[in-house]
Amino acid sequence: MLSVEHLTKVYSTGTVALKDVSFQVEEGDFLVVIGLSGSGKSTLLRCINRLVEPTEGRIVWNGVDITAASEAELRRIRRSIGMIFQHFNLIERSAVLTNVLSGRTGYVNPWWSLINYWPLKERERALSALQRVGIHEKARNRADELSGGQKQRVGIARALMQEPKMILADEPVASLDPVLAHTILSYLEKLNQEDNMTIVCSLHYLDLVQRYATRVIGLREGELIYQGSREAIGRMTDEEFKRIYGEEAQRMAVVGHQVGT
Amino acid sequence: MTAPPIIEEQRNRSLPQAALSAVVPGLGQFVAGYRGRGLSILLTVATLVGLTIWTAAQRARFPDYGFSSRAFLALFGESLAILIFLVALYYLATRTFATQPSTQALARAVLIVLGVVAITLVSDILIRTVISEDQDRMLYGLTSLSGAAIVGAIWLWSIQDAYFLGDEFVPATGTLILLGSLALIVLGTRVTQIDLPKAFREYRDTQVILRRIVWPWQAAFVYDTNDLIASARIQAPCPPGETGPPVNEPHPDDPWIVVTPTCGDLSFRDSMGQLDFGTLMNIEGGNFRPNDTARIQWQNPIGEPFTPRGFGESELVMGNDGGFTVEFYIPDVTIPSTAAGAQVHTLNVIQSGTARFTGELSREMKLALQEMLVTIMMGMMATFVGIILALPFSFLAARNLMNSIRSTLEGFVGGVFGLIAGGWIGSRVAAYLSAQLGGLEGAPVETAALNFIFVLGGALLLYQLAGNLLDRLAKRALPTIVARLISIIGLGIIGGLLGYALGVGFANGVLSIVYPAGFAVAMAPRAGLVGALLIGGLLALQAYRIGPSGEVTTGQLIYVLIRTVLNIVRSIEPLIWALVGIIWVGPGPFAGFIALTLHTIAALGKLYSEAIESIDPGPIEALQATGANRLQTIVYAVVPQVLPPFISFTIYRWDINVRLSTIIGLVGGGGIGFLLIQWIRQFQYSYAGIAVWLITITVAVLDFVSAEIRERFV
Repeated sequence: MLSVEHLTKVYSTGTVALKDVSFQVEEGDFLVVIGLSGSGKSTLLRCINRLVEPTEGRIVWNGVDITAASEAELRRIRRSIGMIFQHFNLIERSAVLTNVLSGRTGYVNPWWSLINYWPLKERERALSALQRVGIHEKARNRADELSGGQKQRVGIARALMQEPKMILADEPVASLDPVLAHTILSYLEKLNQEDNMTIVCSLHYLDLVQRYATRVIGLREGELIYQGSREAIGRMTDEEFKRIYGEEAQRMAVVGHQVGT
Repeated sequence: MTAPPIIEEQRNRSLPQAALSAVVPGLGQFVAGYRGRGLSILLTVATLVGLTIWTAAQRARFPDYGFSSRAFLALFGESLAILIFLVALYYLATRTFATQPSTQALARAVLIVLGVVAITLVSDILIRTVISEDQDRMLYGLTSLSGAAIVGAIWLWSIQDAYFLGDEFVPATGTLILLGSLALIVLGTRVTQIDLPKAFREYRDTQVILRRIVWPWQAAFVYDTNDLIASARIQAPCPPGETGPPVNEPHPDDPWIVVTPTCGDLSFRDSMGQLDFGTLMNIEGGNFRPNDTARIQWQNPIGEPFTPRGFGESELVMGNDGGFTVEFYIPDVTIPSTAAGAQVHTLNVIQSGTARFTGELSREMKLALQEMLVTIMMGMMATFVGIILALPFSFLAARNLMNSIRSTLEGFVGGVFGLIAGGWIGSRVAAYLSAQLGGLEGAPVETAALNFIFVLGGALLLYQLAGNLLDRLAKRALPTIVARLISIIGLGIIGGLLGYALGVGFANGVLSIVYPAGFAVAMAPRAGLVGALLIGGLLALQAYRIGPSGEVTTGQLIYVLIRTVLNIVRSIEPLIWALVGIIWVGPGPFAGFIALTLHTIAALGKLYSEAIESIDPGPIEALQATGANRLQTIVYAVVPQVLPPFISFTIYRWDINVRLSTIIGLVGGGGIGFLLIQWIRQFQYSYAGIAVWLITITVAVLDFVSAEIRERFV
């Protein structure tokens, strides 16, 4: 269980990104964070694995206080929290396989990994992770040869290498077209349902939220303004969504799309 | 304004204003209320007049000629005439074809340029033909004249400007700017001593030498020659009672000459250049190649050869039998007054044979090739060592990597003490180990390596260990007050050490400039104490302010420190570093290598770090999120991104280094540059030409190769 308690983040520029945010995520939840750009979604996700250092508040995950962890402890915590990004954050010039293997850095002998030596076991693990997202045939290609959807799948494979108990997804489909958005989110859903991974994901589109989320929280200007269950979301109308989310809320225009594997 | 042009032309023109401006440039404008305009015209004219007079006064340095007011006035008049002509031309142009304001502006600009060119050319001719033939005088006249012409132009313009001032038509300030620029160009020409006539005058003299530099390849090979030489020895001057060396006998087979007498007096040239002939010799010879020429060569007592001219026929033509007879005066040879004993010269008759190309490279060519290789290697080694040392610096000087490195106050204090202690322990260990191996004399490389490894390793290791230890102690074990005291005292001591060094440095460096040396030395400990108290106190205060477990931006500190050092080293030119290297290890390629390496480290360090700073931060974030440590993050997220720019910069730097290494030789840094400057100083222009060619070829090839490689990687 992830418990965020009175989380506040003030950047050194004086920007208040999060104001006293508290919520809990049960294990196996697919939590979607909604909110406008700049409402603090990214900061919130990055505070959870301390890519962004929280100013105040505590984040406790399965009884471990992440905010109080030392550097070495933090690395150990981070390696069991996968993260995928809006812009994929792949190492463009490296091979897909290297990109996926780099997700394993927290586990292997650091000295071997520095010269890019990976035991056979790890390379097989990487290939099977790629297989799971369906692009194992691209393993030898350079990452910059892939399309956006393929890159995000590599991103998921990289996260899978961490054998994570939780995945943080920072607008994972915002740079992708609607069809691909469903593909990517269905992979996350599968991980959520089959492997019981907790997913914390920020999204923009109401129908995606309704389709995938088991719980939703809404942020506006750094403040938590909405918490809702799956049922509450399902009942939500566009008008309500706009009230919470702001005037720019959109409904995704793909209807009846079947997600295949 | 939509007023008809007829009315506009008639309006508000003021002759009195023009007249005022004719007396004092700018006065008309000033009176009419355009104060700034008037003043700037006056200032411009005054500056230019001063400049012109200064230029003219330069001529006064030539005592024979002095300042010619007549010339100045003539030239000034001539410029005025041209200007009036141009103004008339402009008037005509505006009435006929240039009726639009834009074309008028263009016409003005063209006429001004034409005017200056015409004035310069005409006055050049004027000076050449009428006033003086002397070239120096002409030269200074020419510039003073251009100055005068421009003064005249601006003066005239100011009159016209004052006349039209009341009009809607306000003369374009562009004209003034153009005239001002021309004045600056005149001044610039003067100051940089640009002297076109001289360039043309001297061009012919350079031909001989230039040709040797441009096409030196004869000097690059060895030729077999079969010259016929016959020599005779002559004593000169001939003290009374001396008879000189014995007279030669004709040789039955080989070429021979017989000179009589073999003892005589030297010719003498007095200070006015008047030649007083010495003893007349009779030279007879035989067994040379018939019907071919030969020449007479004279060698003074220390063996320096020259061809005497004007003492008789020095070019000989052999008869049908290969013999000749000629009369020749003993030439004028300067014998130093310190020369002792009989002064015996040698007279050679040389009949040049055919030179046969052997295909073997000459000694100089081989030397040049060898030094070229040394130079390329110097550049290569400097680049190689430079890269290795620049890499760690570049990561430490990359803001985006360093900004995230922060430590707690206790960690920082512990780290700094660990750094000092680790360095000291490392140096002791290295000293002990190197002593076992034979010390600096017995094992210099090992000693250097040991010191490098142990001092650096020890410092870094203890930095990490002591930093972590104190950090943990402060967080877990020590009571807050103790941790606080430790950090305050620790930072105070660090500041004290720093302040002491600064204070002593201040006394030795700054006080010794103002006060006598003894006083400064006596003051040093006190200054050190003051510095220590000051800075130590300040830092202790800062430690108190930061508080327990407060944050110290260690990364930023290191970043600023390294950047500063890199910037200083980089802003000192490699040529200066070469001087340091020469003082350090003496002239030669090693000095050049040191210079290039130092500069390469700084230059590449900066380029690399900027490449690191401009990478996409996404992958770094991604790697950190997977639980990678700092090194893994760098290897997986930073290195792949910076590799192409690194390779590009490195090859570019290698290119620069080889170029620079050719230059660095000029100041004693070894390699081909050193050879080149030596040959130039010895007037060995053919050999210098070889060096220049080799440098050019190398640089061109390198340029091409580096461009090709870089294109492939980026």
